[in-house]
Amino acid sequence: MMAILYRIIRCVAAATVVLLPAPALATQGHGGIEGVYVHQFGHIFFIVAMGILIFWLRERRLTEKSGWRYIQYTAFFFILWNLDAALVHFLDDQTHLIRVTRIDSWHIDITAESGPPWLAVVYYCAKLDHLLCVPALWCLYTGLKRLLAETAAGGEGGS
Amino acid sequence: MILPYIPIWTVDFIGAILMIVFGFLCLKMIWQLKNRQPDNVIWTYLLWFCLGMAVFAISRSAGHILKQLFILSGNSGLWASIRPFSGAVNTMTFVMVASITLFFERVWKIHQIDLKDKQALEQAHGELLYLNQNLEKLVADRTEALAVSEHKYRRIFENSRDMILVVTNEGYIVDLNPLGCEMLGYTDADITALDLRFQDFFVHQDDWTSVLRSVESQGFVLNAEVELKRIDGSHMQSLVTGSLDRGLRCEEATIHFLIKDIEAIRHMEKQMAQADKLASIGQLSAGIAHEINNPLGIILGYTQLLIRGEDQDTERHEDLRTIEKHVKNCKAIVEDLLNFARSSAPKKERIRINRVIEEVVEFFRHHGDVSGIDIRRVFDPAVPPMLLDEKKIKQVLINFLMNARHAVGDAGIIRLSTRWDSEAGRVLITVADNGYGIDKKNLSRIFDPFFTTKPTGEGTGLGLSVSYGIIINHGGDISVSSKSGKGTVFTIILPVESPAEEAN
Repeated sequence: MMAILYRIIRCVAAATVVLLPAPALATQGHGGIEGVYVHQFGHIFFIVAMGILIFWLRERRLTEKSGWRYIQYTAFFFILWNLDAALVHFLDDQTHLIRVTRIDSWHIDITAESGPPWLAVVYYCAKLDHLLCVPALWCLYTGLKRLLAETAAGGEGGS
Repeated sequence: MILPYIPIWTVDFIGAILMIVFGFLCLKMIWQLKNRQPDNVIWTYLLWFCLGMAVFAISRSAGHILKQLFILSGNSGLWASIRPFSGAVNTMTFVMVASITLFFERVWKIHQIDLKDKQALEQAHGELLYLNQNLEKLVADRTEALAVSEHKYRRIFENSRDMILVVTNEGYIVDLNPLGCEMLGYTDADITALDLRFQDFFVHQDDWTSVLRSVESQGFVLNAEVELKRIDGSHMQSLVTGSLDRGLRCEEATIHFLIKDIEAIRHMEKQMAQADKLASIGQLSAGIAHEINNPLGIILGYTQLLIRGEDQDTERHEDLRTIEKHVKNCKAIVEDLLNFARSSAPKKERIRINRVIEEVVEFFRHHGDVSGIDIRRVFDPAVPPMLLDEKKIKQVLINFLMNARHAVGDAGIIRLSTRWDSEAGRVLITVADNGYGIDKKNLSRIFDPFFTTKPTGEGTGLGLSVSYGIIINHGGDISVSSKSGKGTVFTIILPVESPAEEAN
């Protein structure tokens, strides 16, 4: 009896799927501001990774050697750069607090649309982010150079 | 707020170029490091890290340069179409760099393990190299040290003045030092060939059982006094100390014994006991003799006075004579007692002992009934002059001759001889007879005061005691050997003092 009942239920279900189709809506869309969020999360992830690197370097006293100390500075500058970049993205891409209009080739108009006027100055300064990421890479280069010198002097370098 | 665009443009453009330059410089540095130490996992990690950074720098900087170029050339629209693609690539690259960064902890641990393994490997390699280069020398040094050690312990074993014995648990002798062989009367070859067991040397098997039980239960036995027998059947009082040796690898265990011959010690103890006994008796005798001597003198004096007033043929005269005779006997005993007790130092003078003996023999011939006795004298002419109290030595010799005469009876042989033992620096005077001898049971008592086998009235039992005391006072000794029915030999041993000793 139960077996017959189960068979009927299966047949009804199959008929419903075949005879009454509807949109599946299985794949989610990714339009709008989602890309900005992904980029901002990327910056946060980068900040966390650099913070953890500083912690490990200091915990193992590697920063007592100048090579690793410079690599620590690299991480520090990248943290600053990420904060700076995240701020710029927040102001113009995420919240649209700032509106930038080109006056001519050598001038721009920065307007803080719904915020204090000094926000424009902050934004202008924050746009100079290469002042942070270039020193970061210079520190990485210097650190590696010193590690190479230590290794040449007979040290284990990484030890 | 209108602001100049030049600073932003300049920093952006030049910064982007510098990012690319430093990105490649970093790659160059880490590449050199990696080439220098290819096995170092930290450099591999940094290589990945720098690669990520370089890709990040290139992607980001390329985007920025293009942006500035497009803006300057008035193609902002073109940049707007490229911008999402550039931003996405940029996001991916720094997420990738951040991800690589997080592997630092794991890579570091691997590097530390790697370093430890490397150090252990280098140490093992160094040790192996050292052993390889110095093996012959090490073996030679070790062999020499072993030889020195073996020699040292072999010397202790062979030169020990006590018996050292190694036996199995069953008692089979594994090793016995030369003195042990000597003490037991065996040769080393006998010990090896005869497959001897230690328990076979025990006079009392209970002693062996007790020793073995102690070793098994405690692992050692300490100063057990046992009696061992030699190959000739004679016995030896010994002190046994031993311990169990389970061996280096717990193979068959052995027992190591150290055995002391305490025969001489026991003999000395007996002599000391004898000397103590004599001293005690001497003190007692002196007290008694002193108290008796005076009344005896008075009795003798009055008896002699009474004898003078009596006719010789009367019965009373005979009675008084009997009293006089016995009082004189008593006085003689008391005199002997006093002589025995007085330990006055001998008055020594340099005399020739052969002459003294000759005089004593002559005196003995004239004053004793010795017609049936053959007195033979064998004197060693090498005997040097000796420092002796002549009177006391004569007294000793007379005592021995009297005893010998008593032993041989009416007919027999008495031999008197002297011998110079130059090595020991002593003279041996022998008085031997072929009389009835001394029973074994009495031998140990003959020097005791008042011990005599003569009938009552014939001996006081003080002669040998007094003689013994005199000889001891001269630093000498008396030994005796006797066989019942065959005769007795007394040997007086006297030291010969050198002129230097005499001067001291």
